This record gives sequence, structure tokens and C-alpha cells, in this order.
Amino acid sequence: MSKIYYLPQTNEVELFKAAASMNLPVLIKGPTGCGKTRFIEAMGEELKRDVYTVVCHDDLSAADLIGRHLIDENGTYWQDGPLTKAVRNGGICYLDEIIEARKDTTVVLHSLADYRRSLSIDRTGETIEAHPDFMLVVSYNPGYQNILKGMKPSTKQRFISLSFSYPDQKVEQEIIIKESGISEQLAQKLVMIAGEIRQLDDSDIQEVVSTRLLVYAAKLITGGFTPYQACIHCLVESLSDDHDLLAVLEKVISLHFPKS
Amino acid sequence: MDEKVGKLWNSFITKKVSHLYEDEQIFFTHKSRPLKLFYHILGGDKTKDIYITDKRSIKTTRTFLEQISGAGKTFHLAWQDEKGIYLPASLAYFPSKKYNEIHYYWLVAMISHINVNNQNIVEENIITTNLLLKKYFGFGDFYKYAQKFLTQNYPQLSDPQYPNPLWIYPSMANSGKSLDFDIEDEVNATENKQHKRDTLTMKKKANQIDDTKETDGLLLFLPESVLSFMEQVSVDRQENDSYDEDAIYNAEELDEITLGQKDPNLSARVKMDLDIKGNELIEYPLGKGILIDEWDYKKKSYLEKYVLIQPHVTLNVGPIKLPQRLIKTMKKIQNELDLIHLDRIKRNYLPYGDDININTWIDYKSDKNQSNYSQKFFESYEKYTRNMSTLILADVSLSTEAGITQEIRVIDMIKDSLMVFAESLYKLKDQFSIYTFSSVKNTKVNFHVIKNFKENYNDLIRGRIEAIKPGYYTRMGAAVRESSKILNQQQSQNKLLLILSDGKPNDVDRYDGRYGIEDTKKAIEEAKKKGIIPFCITIDTDAKDYLPYLFGKNGYALIRDPKKLPKVLPEIYMNLTKGN
Repeated sequence: MSKIYYLPQTNEVELFKAAASMNLPVLIKGPTGCGKTRFIEAMGEELKRDVYTVVCHDDLSAADLIGRHLIDENGTYWQDGPLTKAVRNGGICYLDEIIEARKDTTVVLHSLADYRRSLSIDRTGETIEAHPDFMLVVSYNPGYQNILKGMKPSTKQRFISLSFSYPDQKVEQEIIIKESGISEQLAQKLVMIAGEIRQLDDSDIQEVVSTRLLVYAAKLITGGFTPYQACIHCLVESLSDDHDLLAVLEKVISLHFPKS
Repeated sequence: MDEKVGKLWNSFITKKVSHLYEDEQIFFTHKSRPLKLFYHILGGDKTKDIYITDKRSIKTTRTFLEQISGAGKTFHLAWQDEKGIYLPASLAYFPSKKYNEIHYYWLVAMISHINVNNQNIVEENIITTNLLLKKYFGFGDFYKYAQKFLTQNYPQLSDPQYPNPLWIYPSMANSGKSLDFDIEDEVNATENKQHKRDTLTMKKKANQIDDTKETDGLLLFLPESVLSFMEQVSVDRQENDSYDEDAIYNAEELDEITLGQKDPNLSARVKMDLDIKGNELIEYPLGKGILIDEWDYKKKSYLEKYVLIQPHVTLNVGPIKLPQRLIKTMKKIQNELDLIHLDRIKRNYLPYGDDININTWIDYKSDKNQSNYSQKFFESYEKYTRNMSTLILADVSLSTEAGITQEIRVIDMIKDSLMVFAESLYKLKDQFSIYTFSSVKNTKVNFHVIKNFKENYNDLIRGRIEAIKPGYYTRMGAAVRESSKILNQQQSQNKLLLILSDGKPNDVDRYDGRYGIEDTKKAIEEAKKKGIIPFCITIDTDAKDYLPYLFGKNGYALIRDPKKLPKVLPEIYMNLTKGN
């Protein structure tokens, strides 16, 4: 089995392992494409636990997490949801963008996220004690919040929190080189461009360049595209539709990688 | 005739001396936003704005033609100070739009990397140029071309004193007195002082004179020649009290502006008693007013109890029904309200209800012990209180008097929006209150109560909305603080402060510009700390620059067509509060 590539930024690996060993749930905050999901997958592999990922949305109901009765030719039967599976069998249940889920849905996590570590299933009348290897991980992107949508403080305060941001220049450079096989000089330049675009704040741009997009750009370059073209398609067009902003980003790219 | 010949001569000789390519000119006004974004990308200070610079006098050796045309004395140079960066209004040194545009980007890049003063102009510009050329390969072509072209066309550039269009120069304040001052004297507020005024968009060099002595005027007459009885009136003709239509043009042309210290309001003020009609609206002050703090960004501290807020209520207002003109809009909004079921929530496991819930039915069927199963198979939609308090704070400064069309003013649109919006909130059963504000310096911030949280929405409230009149200026920070205080006293879980404004924070004193923006930003931060969600809806088309800085990217909406405001306002509200 191939090992998932993840380059630690600070002490997040130690913290996560400690949380896993102490049965503490983890909350991860961070912008899009900074490596949250990759980190969880890498940790799952490291800890030898399955990862059950649920991408949350506003129609997600408690039944989607816990499970529901289904019908087949023999009548009805119960099917566990991803959360119940992880609770029963052990594993990491990762709820991505938890902020998008309805507040009444996330309340089912409360008993799992504190000392009780149990899940009650009203429909079957069961109360399941969590497997020793069960771990609850949730994440959200603080930039995505609806103005009146926030995580309930009572939910938030059940987790130990890790804040992710884009990696340091050196680390990011290394990630790009490792993922795409690009030259060090070009990787350095890409990271420099990303650093400049990241100077824009939330008033100028909705989301800045993610490490993921840098890796895409690097892959296009190694695939034969010119650095200018790769950056336009990965770092400019993917970021905004705003005419002025696109023009400026194009200008920045052309200053680093002249068009011809 | 003389004037015409003069103009022709001036145009001829100016063209002869100028090397500018006017057909290829690039204007700052078309590029201001991209340049600002570029400045941010290069790490420029986000609190600085970009402005047009005035020309600066530089002593250089001038050619004969320059001397007779009067050219070569003043130059539009790029520079910066702690408030902003200053660029020429247009650039046309090169015979191609492409290069003239890159010239702007070059100047912004230089400004964001340089630290220049009167002593190190040459070295700093050379060092920064080399740095830019090394960091950004893309500037290489431009710089090579520009250097060659300028050397060929401007032999004067060999003189190190001659201003180089590619260079950055020290702040104007270092080379003369800049038009940058704070008026500390805010006590002698002259109320109702609303002049017709234009705005000079460029930074000018200024000078101040003491014109407060009234004996300086020279009056020449022969007493014997006065045949009739006359009364001496003290008129000091150093000033002119009529509005000068060409003031902006003249101001732009001046090398330096000289400021007097006297209050320039010479317009006659007449005091007389008037018969006030019985049904005249009366602004009734509630109490003696409240003193609150204001944030001084320069001192990085609060000016304690600096602003006087005066709550008012309008008396003698008659109750009115929803005006006919708004009924159609309201019907449309009502349809949307019905459609999105904002005020209803689904409830499961009911013994009776609107529909059978299939999941519950399956659960029942799959239960081994069905006799114990509570037979609650239904689902229904029920009214849902959203636990929401909204305070609407409307800016009714004098700028809202401006006309959108010949018949409709901004204030009319604000009134209509408040009317429709209040109607929508009433139907949603959300708690809400409405206040309006305007100010005259820190000594008077009028805060009108249209509806407080306790009052019911009714015909009288509509009457109060209809009676709203434009006030003076926009001391937004104070109004935000007062509103936060009111909202904070509400028990609901979600508190929304909805600011309706047509322009940036400003007042006649130092509250104009960065001071006002920083104070408002601080007030908004304070509100957020209290758990209040501020949101601004504006119809100021220039607002994009400062709104995100004040409210963050999710914290505002810009409406380009004020006529759409009544319809759009409830829609924005619904979007904001959906999902809770």
C-alpha cells in the first residue's frame, strides 16, 4: 500500500496522535486546499484506522450520519451510516465542512465528543459504546461561513482545535517538487507568486491560491505547458471571475513568467 | 479675439514643447482598482489609498521653447506619504497604450519597494529599479524600452536634477507645506452650513495666511462725496461669498492654495419668527443626549465621551397605510416569502399532520414489538420563531437629497425600502427596530427613533418613515456604537445590525477620510465582539474601496441602481438569515 505523502508544517502530527491516544475529538480549521483532508488521510494510514469521510451540506440529516431503515424484498432492514460504522468498528469519522450541516444534525455528535463516547440510535433503541479506535474529526473553512451560520459554541468546545494555513515557503516548495517533479527554481517562483496573491485579503479576493492549485500548476508545467499558461489556468482563472482582478493577476504572472 | 489668439498660441507652443502622446494616453481613473490590487499584491500598505497627484515645482534648466511656453517648471511625479500613494492623473510618455499602462504598474511596483527621502532620491531609485528588474523578469522589456525611448526624447534627463518619469520622489510634505491638517476647533459648529461643493481629487500644496484681522481692507473714498445717509456695513472683500462654478478648474491650475483662517460662510443669515402650522413636524429630543467614545487611529486610543448622541423622535406624525406605489413590490416580495417558507419548519413524529412520514412508517414496520410503538407517522410544517433581532440603521445624511431621476431622490428610495422591508420583517415575525442618523461634528449626532424593539409595527411607524428628512453628515462610528448598545440589550440568539447607507463615513471635521473610516471600522469590530453581525447595504458606487475594509468580504452588498433598493433589501435579508 502506498503511503500518502504529507509534509508536516508544525506539530500537528504529534498533536493528532496524542488526541487519538487520549480519545479526544479534533476540530481542524483552515482555508481551502491547504491540506486538511490529506492530513486526515495520512493520519488514518499512520494510525492504521479507516477514515469515513462525510462532506456536510445543509440537507444533511442526522439519519445520513447515523443510518436508516431500508426496504428490500425481505422487508425492512437497518443500515448503519458512516458515523455509526466508525463508532462500531473503530476508525476516524471525518466530517468535512461541518459548518454547512444543520445545527440539529450536529447535536448528535455531542455524546460522542465528550467523556461518554457513546451514540444513541433512537430508531433501533441502541446505545453504542464507541470502539477504542473510534475518533471524531471535524473541519471547516472559516472563510465560508454564512453570515448567521456558525458552529454552536457547545459543539465547538468539545474539540481540541488545530488551525491550518498554507505551508511555509520552504515546505510548500518541497510539497510541489515532490508532487509534480518540477525544478526547484520553478517551484520557488510558483511559491513566490502564491505568496504575492496571498497578500490580497478577503476584501480583494474570496479565496487565495491553495497549495493544491500550485501543485496543479506545477503538474501542467511538467506536462509541457509554459509556466505562463499553467499559471493562467491554475492560479488566475480558478481564483476569480472579476475582470479587474483577473487582469491584475495576469499582470503579476506575466511579470514573473514573461508571455513570450 | 485676443483671448482666442492667446489660446491658439498656447495650444501650439505647448504641443511644440510637449513630447507626450495624447492619443495613447492612459488615465488613472480607468485603472485605479487594478492598480490598487496590484499594490496590495506587492505587499503595499492596505490602509493606504491611491490618489492623483498635483504637479510639483522643480527647478531645472529649461530650453528656450520651454521658457517661452512656460513648460518645464512643474511635473506630475509619483510619491507617497503615510496616508496614500500619489500617481499622475494620466500617463502618455510612450507612443503605445501598452507601455503607458505598464508605466503605471512600474510606478506602483517602485512605490511598494522604495523608501525615498530628499537626500537619497538617486541611490534609492537605482537600487529599487535593480531589485524590481531582478525580481520581475517581465519588467525587463519595458524598462529597456523606456530607458532608451526617454533618453532619446528627453535629453534633459541627462541632468540628474531633471525629474525622471520612472522614479519615485519624496513626499510632497517634505518639500513644502502640504494640504493636510486636522481641525481641532470643533466647538463653533455652524449648523445648517451646507455649501454647494465639488471635490478636488488631487493633493495640493498649501499655504496659510492670517486673514482674521478685519482692518486689512483698504477703503478709499472722499467723505464729501457721500450725499446720502448711509450705514457702514462690515464687509471684508478678501472673500467672495458667491459660489464659484469654476472653482475646481481654478484649484487644479493653481500651483499652491492659500488658506484663510476665517469661517468662509458669509452668506447672509436671517433670523425671523415664523408662524408654524399646527401640524408641523416636531423633532422632540429624548433626554439630554448620550456621550460616547470615538476611536482616534493616530493616537491608537479612544477619545473618551467625545461624541454627543442625541436621540430624537418626530412628533405630530399622522398614521398612514402602505403607499399605493409600494403595493406591487410588496406583493412580489410576499410571494417570495411564501415560496421559501422562511417562517416554517418541518416537524416529524406527529400523531397527526400534513403528510405521512415514510421513514417513520418503515421504522414502525421494522420494529419487532409494534404494539409498543407510538404511532406517530405524520409530519407537518409549523411556524418557527427564528430567534432574530434586526436593527436597521439608515444613513440620512444630506447626500441622500441627491436626485436619482428628476422626481426621485435617494432619500425617497431609502424611505420606500424601509417601508417595504419593515413590512417583510413584520410578516416574518422577526423582531426589528429602525433608527436613522446624521451628524454635525462630534457635538451633535442626531439619532432618530423610527421604531424601537418594543413598539409594534403599525400605521404610525409608516408615518414616521414617510416623515424622514435628510440631515447633515455621516458620523457612522457613533451611530454604530449606539445601535450596538441597543441590540446588545435584546435577548435573541442572533442579532443583526443592518446599515443602509449611500456614502462613506464623513463629517465636516477631521472625520472625513481615514479618521472616519478607522473609527467606523473600530465600532464595527466592537459590535462583532458583542456577538452582533453587522451588514452594510450601500448604493455608493465608489464604495468598493472602503466597504470590504470596514465590513469584510461577506459583510456588505453593493446596489448599483438605487431604484432597486426596496425590492433588493428584503431579498438580501432573506439570504442572510436563511438556514437558521
